[in-house]
Amino acid sequence: MDLTIVWESMPRLLGGTVLTLEITFLSLLAGLCLAVPVAVARLSYRRILWMPAYGYMLYFRGTPLLVQLFLVYYGSGQFQPLLDQAGVWFLFREAYFCALLTLTLNTAAYTAEILRGAISAVPRGEIEAARSLGMSGLLLYRRIILPKAFRLALPAYTNEAIFLLQATSLVSIITLLDLTGVARIIVARSFEPYKLYITVALIYLAITYLVAFAARHAERHLSAHLRERPVEGVAGASGR
Amino acid sequence: MTPDVGPREAALRVTNLHKAFGSLDVLRGISLAAHEHDVIAVMGASGSGKSTLLRCINLLDIPDAGEVHVGGELIHMCFDRRGQRTAADPRQVDRIRTRLGMVFQRFNLWSHMTVLQNIIEAPIRVLGVPRRRAIEQADQLLRKVGLYDKRDDFPAYLSGGQEQRAAIARALAMEPEVLLLDEPTSALDPELVGEVLKVIDDLAAEGRTMLIVTHEIGFARAVSSRTIFLHQGMVNEQGPSRQVLDEPRSERFRRFLSGGNWGRAALTTPSQTGGNE
Repeated sequence: MDLTIVWESMPRLLGGTVLTLEITFLSLLAGLCLAVPVAVARLSYRRILWMPAYGYMLYFRGTPLLVQLFLVYYGSGQFQPLLDQAGVWFLFREAYFCALLTLTLNTAAYTAEILRGAISAVPRGEIEAARSLGMSGLLLYRRIILPKAFRLALPAYTNEAIFLLQATSLVSIITLLDLTGVARIIVARSFEPYKLYITVALIYLAITYLVAFAARHAERHLSAHLRERPVEGVAGASGR
Repeated sequence: MTPDVGPREAALRVTNLHKAFGSLDVLRGISLAAHEHDVIAVMGASGSGKSTLLRCINLLDIPDAGEVHVGGELIHMCFDRRGQRTAADPRQVDRIRTRLGMVFQRFNLWSHMTVLQNIIEAPIRVLGVPRRRAIEQADQLLRKVGLYDKRDDFPAYLSGGQEQRAAIARALAMEPEVLLLDEPTSALDPELVGEVLKVIDDLAAEGRTMLIVTHEIGFARAVSSRTIFLHQGMVNEQGPSRQVLDEPRSERFRRFLSGGNWGRAALTTPSQTGGNE
């Protein structure tokens, strides 16, 4: 089989891979930062906090990512005067920004849902112990609840990270030259879809494998406190 | 210190505490006072409200009515917009809680932290003790409860008795005025009970003010100065431990002590479990 086209395209494909990784990483990071307050708000008993969080999560988990991308990228054009006035139109003009914004909001909604479950699964007794020692509010979240919730959330969050990596391929539709976007252009010129798309698929697979590998290590490191218990544990609720 | 108003202010005073869960009245007007160095054993059948009493004292449960004074300071309560009773000043509650050490039946150590981290966490983060000072103090406490060699282990590596001793050290690290112990040995295998009771016994000998919910009758007799027997959310009988435990006046308490509704009590009574002073 003649693989010349693959070798020749490799530099451009790797260039696209960099953009894919960049978008994935940045939206994961921003999404996580946003997901924490959203999850906490979602769990609040105050209506003014949980209702917006609920609506936000419902919308972004209940509509297709592609539609969300179109809404932000094409839809924002209709509000150009407004956005101009607010001084942010130069951002919405860029496909890169629209992609990042949409992916961030999307992954944050899913991550918030994961965190919500994890926070609810933190053993009540350990929270009460913290309260009984005078910890409350932010301190209680920062030192006890969130560190425990992150550990519980890690397997599901890894899944979300991998899902987001694959989902970034959609940004090629709004003109970005990510890994998929680059491949589409090369295919359009060379008419060699099979060889190119299988290469692209293998690159995504390799990245996914690396992410899963790193996650497994992180998991093992972070759950050191749960392994090798010599006596039947009491903190069983905190187990997997 | 400002001069006390009364002759001697109680370290902990509970007045007419009421608590209901739904239609179930768990506490129906409980009053008690613990003076400095008092060790009060709280007994009662399961469901008599013992644990709820402790939890209402440091507001892990919010009492429906009644007052709690800690060292003469009243915990202020109010009603929120929905008519729920709640603490008037959450910061006061946090502050009061640092003065009331709580030891739980199921230890509730933070499983993601080592024993040492468990102990220094609240002194550093809540009281603002410098880290080095907190570690020194924690090491001292760990030696006292016999866990110095376990200081860098995670709770999951410990036995139940060791976990509970670590939890006691964690509570003591805040230098509380009163220690509340909620059935500290009930979750332990029988052979591990002794090591925890020994630690509590040592604390009593130091003159710590304690409120202990316990089923260990022998231990209560040996260590506590007073015993309170709860029945259906009310104080059924109270008095000096030796007196009320040896000669209970109420029929309920007599039956309880002889194991009428608590099988193990009958087994514990003859052989004293706690170290006698």
